[in-house]
Amino acid sequence: MSGRSEAGVASLQRVTPVRMALILISLVMLIAWAVLPWIHQPELGPTLARVIAAERSANELDIQRQGLSLPPIAALVALGVAFWSVLSPQLSRALALVMLVAGLLGLVYHVTFFVDLAESGRNELLGSMGAGFWLTLVAGVALMAQFALPRKVVPGHEINKVLGHQESVLALGILALVIVVGLLNPRYVADRNISEILQGNAYIAVAAIGVSMVIISGNIDISVGSLIGVLGIISGAMVVAGYPVWLSWLTPLVLGALVGSLIGFLVAWLRIPSIIVTLGMLSILKGGLLIFTNAEWITGMPTEYALSQQKPLGIPMGVYIMLVLTLIAAWWLRNSATGRAIYAVGGNAEAARLSGISERRIIMSVFIINGVFVGIASVMFATQLQVIQATVPPNLELVIITASVVGGVSILGGTGTVIGSTLAAILLNTIRSAMVFINVSPFWLQAVQGVLILATVLVDILRRRRQLT
Amino acid sequence: MKNILLVFALLVTTLAAPVLAQDDMMMRWDGADDLDVNPLSCPGADMMEGDGGMMDMPEYDGGQPTDAPDLMGADITLVDIPKLIGIGYFAATTKGQAQAAEELGNVMVTTDAPTEANIDDQITFIENYITRGVDGILFAANDPVAIAPVLTRALEQGIHVVGYDANSEPHAREWFVNQAEFNGIAKGLMDALAEEKGEDASFGIVTSTFTTPNQARWIAEMWAYTNECYPDMTWLETVEAQEDAILSFNQATTLINKYGDDLDALFGMTSVATPQSAEAVTQAGLCGEVAVVGLATPNAMRPYVQAECVKSVVLWNPVDLGYASVYVMRAVVDGELKPGDSSVSAGRLGDLQVVNGSEVLLGPPFVFNIDNVEEFDF
Amino acid sequence: MNEAGQTRRPGSRFHDLLFSQEGVLLVILVLSVLLLSTRTDVFLTVDNLLNQGRLLTEIGLLALPMTYIIITGGIDLSVGSIFGLSAIMLGHSWQNWGLPLEYAIFVALLTGVLCGLVNGLFIVRVGVPPLIMTLATLALFRGMALGISQGRSARGYPDWFLELGAGEFLGVPNQLWILVLAAVIAAFILARTVFGRSLYAIGNNELGARFSGIPVGRNKLLIYTFSGLMAGLGGYIFVSRVTTTRSDMGTGHELDVIAAVVLGGTSIFGGTGSIAGTMIGVVLIQLLKNGLALTGVTGDATIVVIGTVLIFAILVNNYVQRRRSGESGAGAA
Repeated sequence: MSGRSEAGVASLQRVTPVRMALILISLVMLIAWAVLPWIHQPELGPTLARVIAAERSANELDIQRQGLSLPPIAALVALGVAFWSVLSPQLSRALALVMLVAGLLGLVYHVTFFVDLAESGRNELLGSMGAGFWLTLVAGVALMAQFALPRKVVPGHEINKVLGHQESVLALGILALVIVVGLLNPRYVADRNISEILQGNAYIAVAAIGVSMVIISGNIDISVGSLIGVLGIISGAMVVAGYPVWLSWLTPLVLGALVGSLIGFLVAWLRIPSIIVTLGMLSILKGGLLIFTNAEWITGMPTEYALSQQKPLGIPMGVYIMLVLTLIAAWWLRNSATGRAIYAVGGNAEAARLSGISERRIIMSVFIINGVFVGIASVMFATQLQVIQATVPPNLELVIITASVVGGVSILGGTGTVIGSTLAAILLNTIRSAMVFINVSPFWLQAVQGVLILATVLVDILRRRRQLT
Repeated sequence: MKNILLVFALLVTTLAAPVLAQDDMMMRWDGADDLDVNPLSCPGADMMEGDGGMMDMPEYDGGQPTDAPDLMGADITLVDIPKLIGIGYFAATTKGQAQAAEELGNVMVTTDAPTEANIDDQITFIENYITRGVDGILFAANDPVAIAPVLTRALEQGIHVVGYDANSEPHAREWFVNQAEFNGIAKGLMDALAEEKGEDASFGIVTSTFTTPNQARWIAEMWAYTNECYPDMTWLETVEAQEDAILSFNQATTLINKYGDDLDALFGMTSVATPQSAEAVTQAGLCGEVAVVGLATPNAMRPYVQAECVKSVVLWNPVDLGYASVYVMRAVVDGELKPGDSSVSAGRLGDLQVVNGSEVLLGPPFVFNIDNVEEFDF
Repeated sequence: MNEAGQTRRPGSRFHDLLFSQEGVLLVILVLSVLLLSTRTDVFLTVDNLLNQGRLLTEIGLLALPMTYIIITGGIDLSVGSIFGLSAIMLGHSWQNWGLPLEYAIFVALLTGVLCGLVNGLFIVRVGVPPLIMTLATLALFRGMALGISQGRSARGYPDWFLELGAGEFLGVPNQLWILVLAAVIAAFILARTVFGRSLYAIGNNELGARFSGIPVGRNKLLIYTFSGLMAGLGGYIFVSRVTTTRSDMGTGHELDVIAAVVLGGTSIFGGTGSIAGTMIGVVLIQLLKNGLALTGVTGDATIVVIGTVLIFAILVNNYVQRRRSGESGAGAA
């Protein structure tokens, strides 16, 4: 507690990494906004001139069409917040919240125009620079970064601390990719594509939250992929069989918790290493899935079942679920007794035991919680399309574990955050999408992905080394 | 430490070189696998459908089992080993096989295959069934060459071997039930696109993997046929999506987002990719703007066809394909289909023609649309 | 082990052997073989068993270095991808570079070694955790295989090349000889050499091992390189067996191999394990798959059984080991 207040005083005069990042992001955004459209349509002149011209002609639809009105507002708001928070850091968290609200408001504003635009054809839709998503992206990153903010101010060079967290590295990586690829092909940053990037891996991010907790506790779960497949099919089969939609959504969560408690029991009480239990589970579930479904895909779900396809305020449902769950989980891991105990058990089981933490109980709860998250992920997975496949997506478990470890969760347990894993899941999809956009030969796609994962990890390691010295 | 980073940088550069050196030609993967393509004649030219090599019937080039027991009219046990189980397409062929078995009354057929389209696992499955002892093996090969040694072993054990859907090297099996000639499928797909979007359409392709032989052949034939008949079409890009619904959807969405207005159509090369491409177009609200053409099963496509988001789908009937494979096997066992024969009778399908030496042709691919999609259930 | 020596009953050598990790597993293996052979008479035949030997060789070869690596507390998820890349390099260097096939085989092995070396260097020198490193190279090497081959397969190998994969020597498949030889050497190195013992030390306490003068870095580098070499060899044998190369060869092998190794009693946390156990694990999984298929169980049900067996085998073993350590007076840790 005393450390916390000391840090507050110490950081009063400092430019903290997060704020530094905010400023950088905002500046980059502003520059990108000013330059991007100009580069692509030089005949139309500087962006600002276009905006002013459009404002003069009082044709707001035109401004929207060119996707010009919101990014500068967003960037300016972010910049203001960033600078302000440098002056009075105590307010920063509140301000980040304000930003998020502002971002959402901006989005509503944006979306109302989109409704009109949708009728006037697709060209305009695609031409838009996706202001709403820029806003929420920045606000989301800022909010996440606030959670990740260290209570302790590490002495050293300022710029080092900007890269002081895996989360910042990942967020910057995502932004860098988005900006660079956006420069090469502006359609990459259109609302629809940003939406696809965020939504595409949302279920993976949610599953990765649970798996991150499992890994933090010093265990591992490689059965998640199969479990998602099984629970998704069960959920779909239920709704097709006529059970109410809410029950079909809820059952996977309960079943997930049950499977989780079985795994937890085997690991915590019977002392079988989790990798073996879940390796066994992987086969059991995968085979069981095919026996259960007789290899037939499930179709004909009612429209109200399609949770992931709903788009409140124009943003896919999956994105909301992912953000909310990530923030809740991050807060819970950080502040609750059980959450902290998970770190303790993963970091040093012996010490945890000595300090009165029941290792068994913690491991049990971790696997149950993981089961629930996998259950939620499976509903998101099942409701994304009109069909639910009877096969598990290839290597799904590896993708989820990759998201966790790239997100900074140490495989040895004891460290990591779920914000990192969510950002990593988004990063993976950003990469996948970017590869197609910048015309990387499809044959080399996987290799490039491997290199990028490696690069992320290397940056992390370098960063940690520099912090130590 | 620094050295390692240097090595890493070097690694990245060496890797980046070929990646960046790719020109547009490389983007447009044309399925090339060094095999000859044989494009059919363009529409409007003299209709010479089915002229591909029919003039001079080649010699029978299949293999023969050694000392196969005489089972004429006797009950036989067959095993069907498709590429994988768990997708609608092979569920449909299994259904057709069951129908044929029921009609014939003296055939027992079970389907067993790996859960992923993996040649290694498929070989293991076939090995096991050879040991277990069956009268005949029906297969759809994950790799035409890799599967050959184990099929040859089956023939040596006196087991009859008939392929369907995806061929092996001819000498490793007796007959292959060919659902449609590669060039016929390619022509059907490209003509459907030209009709819907004009002869200057630009399109992307969603396929399973670059190493899947059937898809690679179709795409190669499409490439050849497009060069021949639709030189004004723009071939944008081919992306991989495994046999996975979510990945197919994501890849199709990415293509839509990437090309925007420049994209007139998406081709789905698998029964998974096509409905998911249609789903991607639907969720993007671009029905009618972006056409979806491809190979798929009617059940999966029905909603999109009925919503008029997809005009027409090219397919052979996989139920018929499975059905024919069992009839061909029965005919082989009964000695009714011998090397040199030019046709075989297959129950409700009537007489099927023998082409290319040792292939039984199911018939021309058919096109289903809003008018007839209700008539099919598979 | 401290007081165990004094309380040991006569004849406990057999007792020890029977109730060791490997002993328990062997009992499970024998029991399942007997059970399966009562269900079908084609299972327990020399032909079938030898044929299974042919099929399990590749997994077996990969499992040897994996045992070493897991004993040191590491893991190698990239073996399947190295396997595929080596196979591709074999075909590619032969068909596209025009190398004689003998050299192409060498290229395949060299590829394996280089890939393993890259893994090892990053893990040892840069300090990337093995799981993350090999997770990245799992994608990287597979991607390189696809990129180099451009999705094409190389086929049309001469007969002498296929001899290794399809032929036999003294009635036993050729590759099985290689596996047996490799396993014996690997077992000897692990159990009887300073190098082998040092792996256990690294797995038990890496820092301690370092302080007691064991060249931890060098040894780890060696085993990851060894892993690459075996993957290259496995790839070569596989190409020779299936007579073609594809860039997706070996997909998913990593989990099969790890399953076999942990089933064989090697602790995933490092410090314990043996080659004998691993080999029993490999054989057990292969024979279960085969035996179940022969008795008419379909593929999907088979993997359910395998998963259950995996969990139960460890469960039984844990139980036996705990009782044993209880008997001999050493408390369970």
